[in-house]
Amino acid sequence: MSDSFLTADSNETFAILEGMLSTSAPRVRSTDAPSVFEVKGLDVSYGKKRVLHDVSLDIPEKRITAFIGPSGCGKSTALRCLNRMNDEIPSFRMDGKITLAGQDIRGKAVNLTALRRSVGMVFQQPNPFPMSVYDNIALAVREHQGRMGKAELDAVVEQALRHASLWDEVKDSLKDSALSLSGGQQQRLCIARALAVKPAVIMLDEPCASLDPISTARIEELLLELSTDYSIIIVTHNMAQAKRISDKVAFFLMGRLIEMGDALQVFEAPVRQETAEYIRGAFG
Amino acid sequence: MLSIHGGGRHGLGSKVGTVLCWIASIIVAAVCISIIGYLLWKGGHSINWRFLTSDPAASLMEDAAGGVRTPMAGTAILTLLSIALALPVAIGAAVYLAEYMNERWWITRIVRIGLETLASVPSVVFGMFGLSVFTLGTFKFLSGSGAEGSQAAFGRSFLVASIVMAVHILPFVIKVAEEAIRNVPASLRQGALALGMTKWRTISKVVLPAARSGIATAVVLGMGLAAGDTAIVWLTLGGSMTMGVDKWWQVGNWIATLRGAGSTLTTFAYFNSPAGDGNSAGAAFGAAFLLVCIVLVFNLAAVVLFRRRNLNGR
Repeated sequence: MSDSFLTADSNETFAILEGMLSTSAPRVRSTDAPSVFEVKGLDVSYGKKRVLHDVSLDIPEKRITAFIGPSGCGKSTALRCLNRMNDEIPSFRMDGKITLAGQDIRGKAVNLTALRRSVGMVFQQPNPFPMSVYDNIALAVREHQGRMGKAELDAVVEQALRHASLWDEVKDSLKDSALSLSGGQQQRLCIARALAVKPAVIMLDEPCASLDPISTARIEELLLELSTDYSIIIVTHNMAQAKRISDKVAFFLMGRLIEMGDALQVFEAPVRQETAEYIRGAFG
Repeated sequence: MLSIHGGGRHGLGSKVGTVLCWIASIIVAAVCISIIGYLLWKGGHSINWRFLTSDPAASLMEDAAGGVRTPMAGTAILTLLSIALALPVAIGAAVYLAEYMNERWWITRIVRIGLETLASVPSVVFGMFGLSVFTLGTFKFLSGSGAEGSQAAFGRSFLVASIVMAVHILPFVIKVAEEAIRNVPASLRQGALALGMTKWRTISKVVLPAARSGIATAVVLGMGLAAGDTAIVWLTLGGSMTMGVDKWWQVGNWIATLRGAGSTLTTFAYFNSPAGDGNSAGAAFGAAFLLVCIVLVFNLAAVVLFRRRNLNGR
């Protein structure tokens, strides 16, 4: 029997899908890691509307932390406080303290550019700039490292694209517009762009929400690889995804942090009843 | 009982409405085509190589009336100079309106009202205003001296006309440019800010490049407007059929040329028509037809650029 009609690509596809569909157990990497972010007593409101109440949590270094919870529970808002993206919103008010490696991110001496370089962000909808693939990364790099020789810049761009496991697909078309890439490729480009400036933390706000399952699987695989070198925070409403990749899980509901702990513990033996109900799928 | 036949009370009304829309569109198209057709009929025979490449010459004989070379050069100079003056201001204003201004501030309302007013001022008023201002002695450097012994400036030159024209086209260019900037998706700004770019760098390195075809559309529309204006040219450029300086095209003479009077296709058409005491109707129609072609080209370019925007960005 000839199986030549099965190409290498489709074999890989089957393998990925199989991996996703199997009900794997949550990861068990130890989370006794030092904290890269410490949040204490975070209260957030937009104008008169209170969106976060007294949230306190620690983000472990070089692990994957997932913020989960139903729509509107405040997880994205909490994420955006960590790189002060919420500062751009005029009606935003915040109380509480957030420290990154022991330094208050709202301290007077803090350089916002340096903060956002150290804490990269990837958004739900891929948002590559309407320029070439090369320029997308080069712009980010030049922003922080100033003028560079061409050879050096080429090397940095290549390294970032390899890191985001996109290099093989774009190496012959670096000058093509980033918008001609597929959705999954664009999202990996955005990850590459964030990686190019050598952050310490990478935050992703529902990065796979607009992607197909294959692209999602590739990005999850990428995040697992990256977590050996970077601290990763991912907001996701996809509980299966949280189960597949996260080390630590924080469950938000109506602006409050209900429970946070090791992924194994939260998914298999949640302490709070709301957590148990959400995981069971009672609401969401 | 479910019925999908009969009824249709609004069928006739819809048909009548559709037909009326068709008729309206056909009327508009017919008017445009007949104007262009008429110009072509009346002035097309004047357009030949000699017409396009020789200078105007005053003459009662229609055959010897000369060509449109200097007026065409005048149109080109005026159009280019006006947009060059207006564009930096327009982009600055558009960026400010789109990125920095808060719609709730009282000063925003004043700026918007100011722009709307500027857009509705008739160009002849601009011309008169320009003439009054630029005949003041302090502006001699723009247009040379006035009558012998007077302190006033002459007040008419390419430089003066370009400044006044730039003010006239400014609100339109600002409006189109602001629209182009606003249309850049917020996600691009967010992405740039999250990378650590400052607001200004985000605007200059990400937003403006993303808006470039919209801004190009604004430029081209502004140029079309400048090319087609008559009142400002008539008042602030003078009606001289020739350039202020012989051999005006030589680089050394450029400043003198710009400080001198001249004409454009619009004033050429005016002065050669019976209204302007000329009797070379053929030349006037020829110039008018050329002008319509030029403005058409500008508008088509604007359409092409506009479409390109939708393919390029998202």
